[in-house]
Amino acid sequence: MAKETPTANSLKSGRWVPSSCKMCLHSCGNMIHVTDDGIINKIEGNPTNPSNNGKLCPKGNSAIMRHYDPARFKQPMRRTNPEKGCGIDPMWEPISWEEALDISAREIKKSMDEDPRKILPSLEDFQKFNIWSWPLAFGNFNFYQSGGTMCGGAYHPMNGFIHSAFGCANDAKYCNYWINNGTGDGFSSHLHAAAQANWVAKARTERNMRVVSIEPRLSIGSAKAEEWVPIRPATDRHFAMGMSHVLIEEGLCDYKFLRRDTNAPYLVGEDGLFIRDDNGQCHIWDMEADCAKLWNDESIGKIALEGNFEIDGKPCRPGFQVYKDILAECTPEAMSEITTVPAETIARIAREFAEAAQVGATIKLEDGRTVPLRPAGYNYYRGAQGHKHGAQTNQAFKLVNMLMGNIDAPGGHMGVVLDTKEVDINHCEPGESGMLTPTPHQLGPTPPFAYPPNTYHLMDYFPLGVHPPHFNLLVHEDPAKFGMEFVPDVIVNCHSNPVWAIQGPRNKWFEFLRSMRFIVCVDLIPTEMTDWADIILPSNDVLESWNCTMIEPPHTEGQSFRQPAVEPLHDTKSEEEIFYELSERMGILEAYNDVVNKTLGFEGHPELMLELDQKHTDKEIARRKGLLWNGKDIDWYMERGHSVTEKRLDKWYRPWEGSRLHFYIEDMLIEKDKLKQQMEDADVPFRDEWQWNDYQPLPTPVLDPVHEEPPEFDLYAITFKDIQLNFGESLSNPWIKDIVYRDPVHTGLLLNPKTATAQGLEKGSIVLVESPYGHVYGRISVSEGMHPETLGISNALSRLKSKDSGVLPAGGHFNDMLPYDLRNTDAASGQPETVCKIKITKLDDWPDFLKEGRTVYDKIEEHENAKGKGGQH
Amino acid sequence: MARVGMVFDLKACIGCNACVVACKQENSLPDGVFFTKTLSEEYGVFPLANRVYIPTICNHCEDAPCEKVCPSGATHTREDGIVMVDDDKCIGCSSCAVACPYDQRTQMEESNFLAGLFGNGELTPFEEDGYGRYTPGTVTKCDFCSQRVDAGLNPACVVTCPTNARIFGDLDDPASAPSVMIRERHGRQPMPEKNTKPKVYYVN
Repeated sequence: MAKETPTANSLKSGRWVPSSCKMCLHSCGNMIHVTDDGIINKIEGNPTNPSNNGKLCPKGNSAIMRHYDPARFKQPMRRTNPEKGCGIDPMWEPISWEEALDISAREIKKSMDEDPRKILPSLEDFQKFNIWSWPLAFGNFNFYQSGGTMCGGAYHPMNGFIHSAFGCANDAKYCNYWINNGTGDGFSSHLHAAAQANWVAKARTERNMRVVSIEPRLSIGSAKAEEWVPIRPATDRHFAMGMSHVLIEEGLCDYKFLRRDTNAPYLVGEDGLFIRDDNGQCHIWDMEADCAKLWNDESIGKIALEGNFEIDGKPCRPGFQVYKDILAECTPEAMSEITTVPAETIARIAREFAEAAQVGATIKLEDGRTVPLRPAGYNYYRGAQGHKHGAQTNQAFKLVNMLMGNIDAPGGHMGVVLDTKEVDINHCEPGESGMLTPTPHQLGPTPPFAYPPNTYHLMDYFPLGVHPPHFNLLVHEDPAKFGMEFVPDVIVNCHSNPVWAIQGPRNKWFEFLRSMRFIVCVDLIPTEMTDWADIILPSNDVLESWNCTMIEPPHTEGQSFRQPAVEPLHDTKSEEEIFYELSERMGILEAYNDVVNKTLGFEGHPELMLELDQKHTDKEIARRKGLLWNGKDIDWYMERGHSVTEKRLDKWYRPWEGSRLHFYIEDMLIEKDKLKQQMEDADVPFRDEWQWNDYQPLPTPVLDPVHEEPPEFDLYAITFKDIQLNFGESLSNPWIKDIVYRDPVHTGLLLNPKTATAQGLEKGSIVLVESPYGHVYGRISVSEGMHPETLGISNALSRLKSKDSGVLPAGGHFNDMLPYDLRNTDAASGQPETVCKIKITKLDDWPDFLKEGRTVYDKIEEHENAKGKGGQH
Repeated sequence: MARVGMVFDLKACIGCNACVVACKQENSLPDGVFFTKTLSEEYGVFPLANRVYIPTICNHCEDAPCEKVCPSGATHTREDGIVMVDDDKCIGCSSCAVACPYDQRTQMEESNFLAGLFGNGELTPFEEDGYGRYTPGTVTKCDFCSQRVDAGLNPACVVTCPTNARIFGDLDDPASAPSVMIRERHGRQPMPEKNTKPKVYYVN
């Protein structure tokens, strides 16, 4: 051991490069250490970034192993084996960039010239919306990626309705009572995991913030919470509505907020629409004058929230009264029957929440404003919202918050924007009749109504929702039923693994992929999807490339800057160069630049607009993004690695001041009626199957269809991730594998021990798990941290075999067991059901296909057998 | 002279293992070898079940059993209390690994390095750069990132911890962050019955 020179990696002679992480879709600030020999040997958080405060999650700590992964694609390649499939060797043959780009562009252009709708894009790089939006350059709205429905299908549109924002979170800076429903925010997942964990830990340890976690499984967040409330899957909306029943019946709401800052007092007619005057203006009932007045009538005395009234003989009631009437049947007792949560627990949490919210309290902010202080927030995400009636479910959560007046209030429930691009842009705009302009489409434009459809996944019929990628499979099984005039035959894939990520049985998705004439994948490392590629176009990794963006940080804003720490290790290119080369060859260069100018916000800034006839580098686009944010040129960003600051108070707290929030979402009914009429006029054959009841202006206690599966499916199954598995590829990384498969929750299918006994199972039992839609195999583990009606399947046990990749298969894929039909998809939001009913059968042994090759369970056994060997267990 | 130690805040720790990976990064540890770990333990019965996450590390004991049994003098304690292993002197007898009640020592075997982190028998440039510090056959463990400490930095695991669950500092300084935490939150040492006087404490 050389004593004179340091052996600790971070102390070896070298340099630190400030940059940004991309081991998940978020963008924590980091510092890359490069030795004098050019080796990247340490990555730490950037302590000058107030988002993650110098902290990184385990994935952020693992980026080096992605960089040096020997399986990385090292040059462009062409398949020589005509047989395609996950785990089947494509027998790659290296080819030149010129040839690879020529072939790819030629094959894509062939489809584009025939019918641009025949191209199926799967572009999942969430830090590069200039790549994401590429298909718009040829008017293509197809979508074959998981972003959306497998994260927050109904969540994002509802955040757009309520906050005009992409995401949401509680305000850790002031919150004292934090409800987490089906989310790991602050503990294991979601927005900037390391950053939010840092902020939430401070609130818990310095301020004793109380955390209540509601979910079927004892996750990390539940384990750390003061109270874990186990709940039957897909009944979270009923819990929230039971709470709302108590808040309203016991008069615990922030009535001042509801009257002044929301449309809850707007009078609703019997048709569910607001009663409007000839100019389209809405009405409020003045209790003092005992008559209706226009919403902006300065003579209004006391605004009615409750009551039944008449305008010109037409019965009407405030939106608040409509919800109160719906909630009449949602007693804690009734909701207890559905959720399995004791009625007294629902009522107690409602009262505790209201008490913590301190309705009436105010706080003086540093910007001089005095605003409501509401240090209690109801936060939620995928586990709670990912259900058939997703729109109603999300709204039910929002309304618990709205009843407390905590929307965008210090300590309350906050809208979190994606990338507002310019420091002076406020994301909120006043709309009609005094209301906030809703922005349900947070990821850009969606296609207008058309029949026959212009998209293969039926996005033509989701005026309020996100892309439902699972419908690609539904349509593919019977294109004629949906009036399809085209069938996609080319997939353009970039950092996307749809064959792994999208729900529906894999064997059917495999058939779908086999029907493609040509597949090109832009990626770093082999995945389930690249095994299907005809051409591989290898890209630079996060340590070799430029970028400038910000992805939904709670509490902070600005731009996270990425710069190369080293030259590319292999013969790879940036995503920008690849898509510009393809665009030029396809003859769409100018159209593409026009799309990027719109997408990245350069439009309106002549000095920043990309020249239409030129190809631009990732560095140049990053430079202009930085300039767009704060006028600082690239040298400034290269020195600092970011322009992140705490959120400007006027954009964080009540950025919609002066507009009323949508308590009652009339647009749901307006858009439903419009769509219904369009479908009638166009004689759309499947219109009677369309789920018209899904469009509701307020949540209802309707049950999701998952609860109505045949009784032989006697348990529920859920899937989950933890912080080591957050967002996208993780398990090809040896450091991640070394920690994940030592954690008991990722080493077997989790069942409550009493349930296991009742089913004749025990720890170690090999089982077949079947839903009405698909099946998986697995090995049972028991945990008291499982709701007794629920089987928990870690995402780490849902990988498929893929050639040359370090990931290990387990026994199938949880998503195989999920439906992909209209009945189980929310017509209002595009959100499909993400839990299922199952039955379990005990097997004597693994099926033969799982005995070939190494599986997760072999690795787990190796770990167990190594126990007791010093520090190696 | 300082007497450095660490406090684990069990309320803050979320068992994310960022510390474990940061340690693997800083110390170029082979697959399956850990200088620190986060254990998880479930307890209680549904619906009152819970799980606790427990970070573990070399406790840098003042009466270190590993040091007492070391026949070669390889294991020694620095002036600041960090228990070190000098692998020039280590004869690989593993007495220390047996003596350590906390199971915190690892004998580095040739096989640890040969497979490589990706298990393909080849080493990445990261491994090529880092494995030279280890001598196969010798015993290693956490040294509180002693070189970082000498440079005035916190250990790698402390720096990265998202929830500030690892607090490092001078236990002899009553005003240091760990001293205050031990005092105010009644810090407990692991396995006090072993009389090893660990310089690692846990608070709840």
